[in-house]
Amino acid sequence: MLKKGLQSGNVEHPYREKTDKRILKKNPWRDYRLHGTVLLLVIVAEIIGPIEIPIAKGVEVIIMPLLYTMVLGLVFYLDKNIQWIQRRQSRIAEGAMMLFIGVLIAKLAVSSGQSIHLIFEMGPALLLQELGHLATIFIALPVALLLGFKRESIGMTSSIGREPEVAVIVDKYGFNSPESRGIFALFIVGTIIGTVFISFLASLSVSIIPLHPFAFAMASGVGSASMNAASLGPTLAAFPNLETSIEAFAGFSNLLSFSIGIYIVIFIAVPLTEKLYAYLEPKIGREAIVKEDGDDNNG
Amino acid sequence: MADFIDGTENVTVHGIFNWIRLLIIFSVITVIGNYIGYKHPIGEAFIGMGILSLITLAGVWLERELPFNISSILYISIIGIVIALPGMPTSKFVLYYVSKIELLSIVTVFLAYVGIGMGKSWDEFKALGWKAVIITILVIASTYYGSAIVAHIILVLTGVPAA
Repeated sequence: MLKKGLQSGNVEHPYREKTDKRILKKNPWRDYRLHGTVLLLVIVAEIIGPIEIPIAKGVEVIIMPLLYTMVLGLVFYLDKNIQWIQRRQSRIAEGAMMLFIGVLIAKLAVSSGQSIHLIFEMGPALLLQELGHLATIFIALPVALLLGFKRESIGMTSSIGREPEVAVIVDKYGFNSPESRGIFALFIVGTIIGTVFISFLASLSVSIIPLHPFAFAMASGVGSASMNAASLGPTLAAFPNLETSIEAFAGFSNLLSFSIGIYIVIFIAVPLTEKLYAYLEPKIGREAIVKEDGDDNNG
Repeated sequence: MADFIDGTENVTVHGIFNWIRLLIIFSVITVIGNYIGYKHPIGEAFIGMGILSLITLAGVWLERELPFNISSILYISIIGIVIALPGMPTSKFVLYYVSKIELLSIVTVFLAYVGIGMGKSWDEFKALGWKAVIITILVIASTYYGSAIVAHIILVLTGVPAA
């Protein structure tokens, strides 16, 4: 889907293109099967509520209703017995979601506006934590090389790999380059497991790692709205009295990720990944697992 | 693709009504979830969702109308921040009603659509090997911890108390 969208040109606006295509031409509000299913999932999820699973003394993982609706949504699509959620519904959901991100961002922005003084007090932390995203290059790139990835690893490990970063890599290296194949793989895997994974990661981290609550809030702005939301859930649950500040930081951090974040990717992350690749590849590179003309990264 | 719409095409009235209807559906579902999960009064929560939907609408509209290459997310963020700034005439009204909507209620509905929407990627996901899964997990974890650790260090250095 993503590839098709990007191939048809207009690499700069993957979000807009998807939303427009699905929303402007079709009549998505009429798909009562889709919206009815979502309503059902939401009601069930909210009635069940959050579940706390203690895994050791003082350490617990909180599973939020947001995970139930997402996982059940996927299950409904994949379950062959459920006839009313098919490819059509999935396409509409994807287009609608691009619009609904806005509501989420608006809620965070209102909290940010309310707590604008925080940006003056903690501006340096907010700005510099964006550079913390570069950690992925130093950790994931060597592992990718050890696993036998070649140029793919540049696309795979330079950033979190959501739509804006995909556009950057495709723009720089071309659609059929190994670098683009790498970031497509990251995009797909991130789409499926990213949200669930970061929710568990955040849940575990807030209960066992003694970092500042605001640091967790800022970190949740990784550059993906659903991952941001999923990692905020456990953070809010762990520090209930700091709700507005945590939302405010997440809002600021999102704002930064979507504005200067993309320039950090273009001007720092990608060149840095190239440099590190050139240095490390001859030292620890393995035999290529993807042929030059190969199409996927199946190890 | 015959029905392909170029992103630069101006928004039709038809398109705006589609957005509005979708946002109304989204608001109704969110308000119901918000009521079950957090017991916020339905009427006030609905006004809160109305405000958030208007901000969203303004953002997506501006993205398409203005000649800059700027994502709607930035417009939405800026509008949301400005109308909630302390001292703005709108701020009291906005804060009161928007506080009746829990962030997590919005996220719960949003992720239901994400779950159904990601279904299409399932086959592509299965075709990728376990190695891609390992790298993705490392990328996400190190992006998250990288910024958490940097933020923590700066917060401690600048003497921000752990509230």
